Amino acid sequence: MPIGTNVTGKMVTALKKLGFNKVFDTNTGADLTIMEEGNEFIERLSENKNLPMITSCSPGWVKYIEMNYTENLKHLSSCKSPHEMYGAILKTYYAEKNNINPNSICVVSVMPCVAKKYEANREELSNQGMKDVDIVITTRELARMIKQGNIEFVELEDSSFDEPMGEATGAGAIFGTTGGVMEAALRTVSEKLTGNSLEKIEFETVRGEEGIKRATVTIGEKEIKAVVAHGLANAQKIMEEIKSGKADYQFVEIMACPGGCVMGGGQPIKSSKTRMTVDVRKKRADALYTIDEKSVIRKSHENGVIKKLYDEFLEKPGSHKAHELLHTHYIAKEKYNI
Amino acid sequence: MAEENYINLTIDGTQVKTKEGMTILEAAKSVGIDIPTLCFLKDINEVGDCRMCIVEVEGRKGFATSCIQKVEEGMIIHTHSPAVLEARRVILDLILSNHHKDCLTCSRSGNCELQNLAIKFNVQNIEYTGKQSEHTIDDLSPSIVRDFNKCILCRRCIATCKNVQKIGAIDCMNRGFDSCISTVNNQSLRDVNCTNCGQCIEACPTGALREKDNTDEVWKALKDEKKYVIVQTAPAVRVALGEEFRYANRYKCNRKNGNGS
Ligand code: SF4
Ligand code: SF4
Repeated sequence: MPIGTNVTGKMVTALKKLGFNKVFDTNTGADLTIMEEGNEFIERLSENKNLPMITSCSPGWVKYIEMNYTENLKHLSSCKSPHEMYGAILKTYYAEKNNINPNSICVVSVMPCVAKKYEANREELSNQGMKDVDIVITTRELARMIKQGNIEFVELEDSSFDEPMGEATGAGAIFGTTGGVMEAALRTVSEKLTGNSLEKIEFETVRGEEGIKRATVTIGEKEIKAVVAHGLANAQKIMEEIKSGKADYQFVEIMACPGGCVMGGGQPIKSSKTRMTVDVRKKRADALYTIDEKSVIRKSHENGVIKKLYDEFLEKPGSHKAHELLHTHYIAKEKYNI
Repeated sequence: MAEENYINLTIDGTQVKTKEGMTILEAAKSVGIDIPTLCFLKDINEVGDCRMCIVEVEGRKGFATSCIQKVEEGMIIHTHSPAVLEARRVILDLILSNHHKDCLTCSRSGNCELQNLAIKFNVQNIEYTGKQSEHTIDDLSPSIVRDFNKCILCRRCIATCKNVQKIGAIDCMNRGFDSCISTVNNQSLRDVNCTNCGQCIEACPTGALREKDNTDEVWKALKDEKKYVIVQTAPAVRVALGEEFRYANRYKCNRKNGNGS
């Protein structure tokens, strides 16, 4: 099928055919991440503490900063990444509500990323001895399983993610491209800070292929400077600015892979020939922006599942319980010199 | 704005008008002529090392490396002359003679640039049989498996890790026959400064770099009746998964046309 085809419906059908008990959407986890990360940002901003805040969803990036900029770890958001947050919620809130023994739950994440395999094994990303996520497979591995399962993928009918945890927003969808986490966060942070609905929810300045994107966003009376970097060479440039005290911005999004998750190390491999003639990143990213555009709900804080989750279980973003389940800490690692 | 300069040349008998500064490879591509490559990876590895992309330029001695050689006014180029084809075949045979040809069990079978070249060149036997290097497979990293028995030393991974990611976890060690892509002191990727980003896998034309496959564990969980298995999928998966499937199967077993494969 052509590069950048949105196959959500067929993918869900295939996963059901493979025999998973439930098929859920990490985009919901992304909405939850925005609630926590947005809240953390607003707190840091009001206290003028540990700014700029840097996103922490990309495990390759997290390992990079832990090895190379140990003195700057305080800038990282303490939020776990979306699939880890979601795993933690599935093994607590969801298990309790549905009378399932959390020890019998096995959470499998399908990710565009191989660093997520490493992330899922990190000891801190567990709760009461249970890993938040048990197994991570990549897009390529899922394709192999579908072939092994004798499923004729292109012929499949569409189906939807399982309720009640399936609802996700357009903001969650764009997490998969560079600039997407920043845009999703800005939508929520703006409305939380001003109490007003945004007139235009697209933040075009943080979109696109530029390695480092800088934007100034006016929120109420405040001006927030945001920076988006992707690919670790660009991340390094930003870290050098922060280290030398030259950073005049408050919010930074970093993804380890050039282009973000759509170009992750677990995605279908494109030949040199294809990479010469097709802008693979753009095609896949455009498909995500289309999903966002067509979504009924496009802001994380308006997601019904998330609202209910806070009402029934987490109380509010940044609560004690939220910290216990959804936040983590970082560990300075030895740096190897070549 | 200054007007762009155009260059006229002939490629395989076709008159081509291209922008100045283009490589022969790009110029050929622009008129639908496909020159095989191996070490070339746009913007990342443009070094002309493997010489698979060589072409003949009339009036010049030796072959030109089309991925780095820029077009010049009046060039007459042959991309598939008998001499070019023979030279490419020698290069390919040399690579294949020191490659573990276990395509049947390789994760890249069907999507391997080396396998595709072998098909393109109708390789049915390999001329050279020489010493085979033996490398142990490094599968200690939770993310990446390195099998350098399949490596063709194209260095696309090194360029990606060093220039795109500025990490330099892998490099070319030793020389000559003993050359190999490795890490400091030949340690596992787990134990060096690798970030587990996997960009090197995306760059590799063969199965020498691949992800740690965890599908067996998933099948095991799915078969275990005591397990409640929940799957979740990241946003980027749904806009790329379809690329791994072809529409073609719909027309399979069309026996009437004798096309039963
Ligand atoms: S995974 Fe990333 S950091 Fe590690 S060797 Fe590959 S490109 Fe380099
Ligand atoms: S591991 Fe792959 S990308 Fe790296 S040199 Fe070998 S064949 Fe090329």
